[in-house]
Amino acid sequence: MPDPTIAQSSTHDIVVSGQGVGKTFADGSVIALQDAHFNIKRGSFVSLVGPSGCGKSTLLRLISGLIPPTSGEIAVHGTPVTGPRADISMMFQKATLLDWRTAIENVLLPTEINGTPTKADKNRAFDLLKLVGLEDFAFSFPAQLSGGMQQRVALARLLQTGADILLLDEPFGALDEFTREHLNLELMRIVQEVGATAFFVTHNIAEAIFLADQVVVMTSRPGRMAKIVDVDLERPRPLSIQTSVEFNKLVEDVRETLGEM
Amino acid sequence: MHNKNSPATFWVFEFIFRVLPHLVLFAVLIWLWELAVGTGFITSIIIPRPSKIGGAIVELYITEGTIYRHFFITLTEAVVGFLIGATIAISLAVSSSLSETFKRYVIPYAIVLNVTPGIALTPVIIAWFGYGMGSKIALAAIISFFPIFVNTLTGLVQVDEDREELFQSLGATNYQVFRKFRVPAALPLMFAGLKIGLTTALIGAVVAEFAQATDGVGVLMSRFSFQLNMAASLATLMSMTTIGLILFYTMEFLDDRIVFWRRENRRAAASRARARAWKNQL
Repeated sequence: MPDPTIAQSSTHDIVVSGQGVGKTFADGSVIALQDAHFNIKRGSFVSLVGPSGCGKSTLLRLISGLIPPTSGEIAVHGTPVTGPRADISMMFQKATLLDWRTAIENVLLPTEINGTPTKADKNRAFDLLKLVGLEDFAFSFPAQLSGGMQQRVALARLLQTGADILLLDEPFGALDEFTREHLNLELMRIVQEVGATAFFVTHNIAEAIFLADQVVVMTSRPGRMAKIVDVDLERPRPLSIQTSVEFNKLVEDVRETLGEM
Repeated sequence: MHNKNSPATFWVFEFIFRVLPHLVLFAVLIWLWELAVGTGFITSIIIPRPSKIGGAIVELYITEGTIYRHFFITLTEAVVGFLIGATIAISLAVSSSLSETFKRYVIPYAIVLNVTPGIALTPVIIAWFGYGMGSKIALAAIISFFPIFVNTLTGLVQVDEDREELFQSLGATNYQVFRKFRVPAALPLMFAGLKIGLTTALIGAVVAEFAQATDGVGVLMSRFSFQLNMAASLATLMSMTTIGLILFYTMEFLDDRIVFWRRENRRAAASRARARAWKNQL
């Protein structure tokens, strides 16, 4: 890790940046996010961690263009975000699959929205299902899949968009501990494999550190970015890394920042 | 020990445990009825013995076969009325789901139509459309309209924020959201409405026949009743039940095929069919 602070990295490596980003709801009485500054490098895995109401989901929706900021500006690949765009894709806590479509047809949805899928698109969808380990379930309907498998389909659909900025809003939050841990490992491998930049919202500190290159620690009332913690742990990371001294130092650092509030 | 996987054994057990009790109960009820009339407990002029009804059934359905013309007339009235009612109901529900203004103007009329007993319109409808099939079709259409309209509209406007956000984040147009999400999501409720509508369409057709008509099972039944031929009258009623069953199961079949994703066995069948269809595409 040559450069410990993201602020120093050269500008052409920055894919997502925010300057004084703020968002208020309900006629300005609820401040969801206040004065956020960030510069995220290409290929980084960024975790957003904090208590509920700290604005982490709001920040994700602002980056995605689903909601506009009240103040400041977010830029992706150097152009300001004004609405949903092709280079950004989002995954939700619920799998949000369409019940009447098979797994592969669900994966093809983003392609269908942009036009008629070609044979190459269909092959890509099948390859992505392979990548998430579901090639045997390509023609199953969501109701025939477990919760974890449904989220894998959602992950394949996320990748099918071809976006290089992935926004993940507690994607495995509704799953049991074992499935979540397993899918986190898969997610880490896949994001690295496709070379995407990822934003991952969670309220689990260990999970945030384990996955990330940078952990954005957020605090609530008003939602604020309190600190960005760099995670200099080697990759690939085995699950056992979570018991190491370095790892626990990072956990302590994040906890302290959260505890200050 | 019997082999559970053998189909012959399966059907024997299925018959003994599931079908036979129903047949026994039915036979007992019929026997009690026969007994009640036979002993004079019930006057046979009011309620004839089952065996007399059986005789009337044989006459109407087999030896003379008078029922069939009326049967098909009533069936046609109910189906055509239903199709007209459903077409109008679905068109208005779709338009209402797309335009808030349109909905605001349509809803009051739909409610007024619903709270007015549709059957009460019979004399007016007959005055407008005459003694023939036209008035029966019209009444069937009118009273099947509301359940289809309300259910389809409810299905189309139900809110699923998560999936809507998904489509939005994918940059989908309103038309794409409608076609790829809202319509399929509304199908289960729409079919629930269609099932109710089809049943009410039959009621509409028969009631209009009772009021004034020359053909149809309703006419036949009231004619027999006026002659105090209760056995024939009840035998005719059975044909209405048959029409009702035909309509109900046709709709069940369509529901099962079109909204396949709710039932496990249909899902599995659909999944296999999709896998076959995709084989040449990959």
